[in-house]
Amino acid sequence: MAIPQTNIIVPAELSAHQPLWKRNPSVLVFTGLLALFTIAVTIASEGLGLGLMSTSFVKVLGMTLCLCLAAIAMDLVWGYCGILSLGHFAFFGLGGYMVGMWLMYARTEGIVIASMAGAELPPTADEIRDAIGTQIFGVVGGSEIPWIWGFADSLVLQLMLVVLVPGLLALVFGWLAFRSRVTGVYLSILTQAMTLALSLYLFQNDSGLRGNNGLSGLQNIPGAEAISQSVMSVWFFWASAVALGLGYNLAAWVISGKFGSIIRAIRDDETRVRFLGYHVEGYKLFVFTLTAVISAIAGALYYPQAGIINPAEIAPIASIYLAVWVAIGGRGRLYGAVIGAAIVSLLSSWFTGGQAPSIPLGFYTIDWVDWWQVLLGLGFVLVTLFAPNGIGGLVDKLIRKGNQP
Amino acid sequence: MSSLLEVNGVTVSFDGFRAINNLSFAIGTAEMRAIIGPNGAGKTTFMDIVTGKTKPDKGSVTFGEPPIDVLKLSESQIAGAGIGRKFQRPTIFENQSVADNLMMALKAKRSPFAALAYRRNEIDIARVAALATEVGLIDSTTRQAGELSHGQKQWLEIGMLLAQDPQLLLVDEPAAGMTVTEREHTTALLKRVAETRAVIVVEHDMEFVRRLDCRVTVLHEGAVLAEGHLDHVTANQDVIDVYLGR
Repeated sequence: MAIPQTNIIVPAELSAHQPLWKRNPSVLVFTGLLALFTIAVTIASEGLGLGLMSTSFVKVLGMTLCLCLAAIAMDLVWGYCGILSLGHFAFFGLGGYMVGMWLMYARTEGIVIASMAGAELPPTADEIRDAIGTQIFGVVGGSEIPWIWGFADSLVLQLMLVVLVPGLLALVFGWLAFRSRVTGVYLSILTQAMTLALSLYLFQNDSGLRGNNGLSGLQNIPGAEAISQSVMSVWFFWASAVALGLGYNLAAWVISGKFGSIIRAIRDDETRVRFLGYHVEGYKLFVFTLTAVISAIAGALYYPQAGIINPAEIAPIASIYLAVWVAIGGRGRLYGAVIGAAIVSLLSSWFTGGQAPSIPLGFYTIDWVDWWQVLLGLGFVLVTLFAPNGIGGLVDKLIRKGNQP
Repeated sequence: MSSLLEVNGVTVSFDGFRAINNLSFAIGTAEMRAIIGPNGAGKTTFMDIVTGKTKPDKGSVTFGEPPIDVLKLSESQIAGAGIGRKFQRPTIFENQSVADNLMMALKAKRSPFAALAYRRNEIDIARVAALATEVGLIDSTTRQAGELSHGQKQWLEIGMLLAQDPQLLLVDEPAAGMTVTEREHTTALLKRVAETRAVIVVEHDMEFVRRLDCRVTVLHEGAVLAEGHLDHVTANQDVIDVYLGR
């Protein structure tokens, strides 16, 4: 190129490659806070600590960490790449179903073998299989084990499916949508339609996943019956914390470098990015699939703590909530997504769990189980109007104020 | 002289309106060309066709040696093949720093995996610094591109165009919003670039075109009205009619 190569002074700010924590200090702060929180919860827990915190509350916190991880995925795909997917909770649910299949199958197998142990003749493999089928599918009037349960007896294979099934669905769906250049609100509607179709399919009794009964008893881990729920809850909390920590670091790494620069550019003006020679659809597909897999992993950790998964979990509204959390937390900043998901989901379980005191107005009583959604909607409107950058945006403002001399 | 870009008998209509009507155009490997014409003459549509944004109804567009069929490629493939474009309104990524804007445009592998694995290195930083110096933004590399003045944004986009290292540069009104000194700098830069590459400048400003001192193609109603040196085409009666009205 016709550029004079003499007398070029490279400014110090343009320094070469820097480690991640220097490029994005929030990684260090977040990982540190998460570690401290994990230690604090462990100390307070019933299972391994002082017993200040009930087992069910440890589970709620562990589940909240999983939701935060899903919110990070949502922020990556929406806040950074500009794809408002209203289907990422479907991937979350699919991850839960995949791990739930093994949990339910293996546990039922254990129960069946134990109950048949007293028989005079040792049961054949077919008899065991039939008994498992009746146990699991009796509730939807069947006893055959559907083909999709083919890998359910293997933890390793089923864990691979946690990544593969939602990943493949996202890949195929994303490929079809992005190559047709479906963008903006049309893409959102399409993802919502996918979610609705999936949830309606799962509601059917012959879907092979027990219809509206879903999969239950997931909190009982096969082969670990001797371990009490209070200890198991802390283990799952740890696993969730590790997953969230890794997810945050991975997301921060993805957005920090040139890749992050490109996907933010796609968010702001994808046509222009095309003229720079980037295959925009490839980037979108990569981010869409990666975040679907992250969501699925979060779901696979969530549902063993929740104990039950059913198609209602995948209902379209769940994916909309995910977007609301990220919007309230502040999209385009990873900690914003975490803050939004944590605050809103914890508040939600407090209000809808019946713990929030009702407000008697004389002529009418505000019962929070019903009114929480109104409050959430109002909060969403207020945040959109008065803090468009969400809670994370307020945090940014505080940090900037603090940095001023 | 063999031509780098050849446009043959291209026609495109929008809702029955023929924006480009049987247009033929060619430019050599190291040539500067100015395209002028009144509003609606099809200048921007011409650029859209060459860069793949608009697909014509008829005609062919070939580029490079050996010639490749541009019409079969997507926008990103065309950009990768060596056709760079600067838009009329500066389109840069306002929420990112000047350096990041240049870094993104810098010629390199474009796949998502290459971008993920990419690490800033001394060579690329030197290239970015050289480009930033060339376009007078070396003191603003860490500033957000959105904070720049209109003229500086134009410069940044020119820098991004150079960073792609294209064989053919399509430049839409590069001098809009620039001061006199900046215009002189732009002219000098484009002339220097045209020593080794093909440059097509779309411009309204006759004074600027005169300073470029190159062949001029006059478009009117989607077709070439006249071609030649500026003095030659401005003496053409058809051109006078179109520009001054009958």
